[in-house]
Amino acid sequence: MATAVSNQGKTMNASLKKKLDSVFDKIHIAVPEETRMVVTVQKDAALSVLSFLKNQGFTHLGLISCVDWIHQQMFELVYILSAYMQDDEKTIDREKLHIILKAKIPRENPRFHSVIPIFENAEPYEREIHELFGIYFEGHPRLEPLFLERQYKIPPFRKDFDTRKYVRKTFDTIPPVEKKAGKR
Amino acid sequence: MRELELYFGPQHLGMVGNFSITLQVEGDRILKATANPGYLHRGFEKLMEYRTWIQNFPLVCRINVVEPDHIEMVYAMAVEKLANIEVPERAHYVRSIYLELARVGSHLFGLWAYANMLGFDTVAQWAMYHRDLVMDLFEELTGGRVYHIYIWPGGVRRDFPVGFKDKIVNTLHSIGGCVPDYDNTFFNNRLFYDRAKGVGTVTREQAMAMGGTGQVMRATGMQYDIRKVEPYAAYDKVPWDVPTRKDGDAYSRIWVVRDEMIESVHMIFKLLDAMPEGEVYHRVPNPFKWKIPKGEAYVRCESSRGELGLYLVSNGENKPYRVHFRTPSYPHGLTILEKVLENASIADVGNIMISLYVVAPEIDR
Repeated sequence: MATAVSNQGKTMNASLKKKLDSVFDKIHIAVPEETRMVVTVQKDAALSVLSFLKNQGFTHLGLISCVDWIHQQMFELVYILSAYMQDDEKTIDREKLHIILKAKIPRENPRFHSVIPIFENAEPYEREIHELFGIYFEGHPRLEPLFLERQYKIPPFRKDFDTRKYVRKTFDTIPPVEKKAGKR
Repeated sequence: MRELELYFGPQHLGMVGNFSITLQVEGDRILKATANPGYLHRGFEKLMEYRTWIQNFPLVCRINVVEPDHIEMVYAMAVEKLANIEVPERAHYVRSIYLELARVGSHLFGLWAYANMLGFDTVAQWAMYHRDLVMDLFEELTGGRVYHIYIWPGGVRRDFPVGFKDKIVNTLHSIGGCVPDYDNTFFNNRLFYDRAKGVGTVTREQAMAMGGTGQVMRATGMQYDIRKVEPYAAYDKVPWDVPTRKDGDAYSRIWVVRDEMIESVHMIFKLLDAMPEGEVYHRVPNPFKWKIPKGEAYVRCESSRGELGLYLVSNGENKPYRVHFRTPSYPHGLTILEKVLENASIADVGNIMISLYVVAPEIDR
């Protein structure tokens, strides 16, 4: 029984990979395991790939994340998609799969398109990334601060923002835990 | 009528946790609601980049005060996936039992908040007392009452102590014995029905468009539960059901919570019976020098609030490169709450918010 299901899963992954490959060029698709598919796209293609995947049934945007690859001078935006259940009571193989869609943008003056027209729940995620990484999302209706109360020169989740240096500069001291660890 | 701006929280009797909502009201009708998170933002995800893989365990559980165990679990799962660590069979069962106990405790806490808000003080005190019994179990197992740090990459930190199985059974029997009391006083009470029926309705389409999971989704009739969709630990080893309701309102969501608690208790009994003997822990390398190969992972599990995910990136170092938690309260408390509060009455704000099961520390992280 288990093998039958996994074979079905493999065919489903393969057919989705084929479809993506045929519709879009300059797209890289990896299937490291049965329940995960990693799709890497050029930044201009990200929106159309997202709406294509939504039409394929991956209607659940789980998370938008951002990784600061400082050595490459790039930001990587990460969209995690999965599917809601089609039937109220039975799960099918598609719902086990999650897709990690990645697009890189330059670190200098970072701008990207908002995906709110495709996924309504992208709003707070993009707001958070704007605040913590300083990426501007075009077409976002409210890019106001979400969590922070102060303004920072460098957005605090970037890799070049050193929290310890910041603490020392702002509060003129660093919690004693680190001093002790240093003495040892 | 004149339009007013009203601040609901963070200092408000109807507000649980450090969270605030700004309401534009006309009379007692809400025109627009704006959620203001950030009172509990501690920057965990950044702090974790400065600490080793193991040092992060005492940190992650602080992300959600009410149920730290599922956060531990999702972090351990991600580390195991990146480092390719196997978990012994018995540890899967121990983890499942432990997580279900956490779910019961968390739901009792949620019931306390909800009943308290509606004015059912007696029921709220019962729920708090019963949660304390669950916490006694955790204390005996792990030494901690609120934060346990029990799940570890490669298994759990120690096996059940002697006689612990019987203690779980006895505690759950004494909680389960009070279900008729809860039903008579609260769940079948006309006052609860009148206050909650038709309030804060989230339809299936709205929930799907705005990233709803957990009770929000199950109250619309869909059996969407990560424990069934993508089973982890030992959830595929015993039979169990996903309770649902049809209407999507506050009444349905709280009934789903009640049914889930009972289902969890039944599941724990089944898991205790089916639990094999053996090891509960596979050794991991020296935690001070442990480097995890380059890679990324997204793992998810079902917390008592909905889908809890973790996106974890390793750069081949002894510390994570990037950590990002997908917490269920994030879409529930920011996107869905703002939408549902439109056109609601001021008296229902707490009702809607607590029935959506929003927990502020989880949003802010």
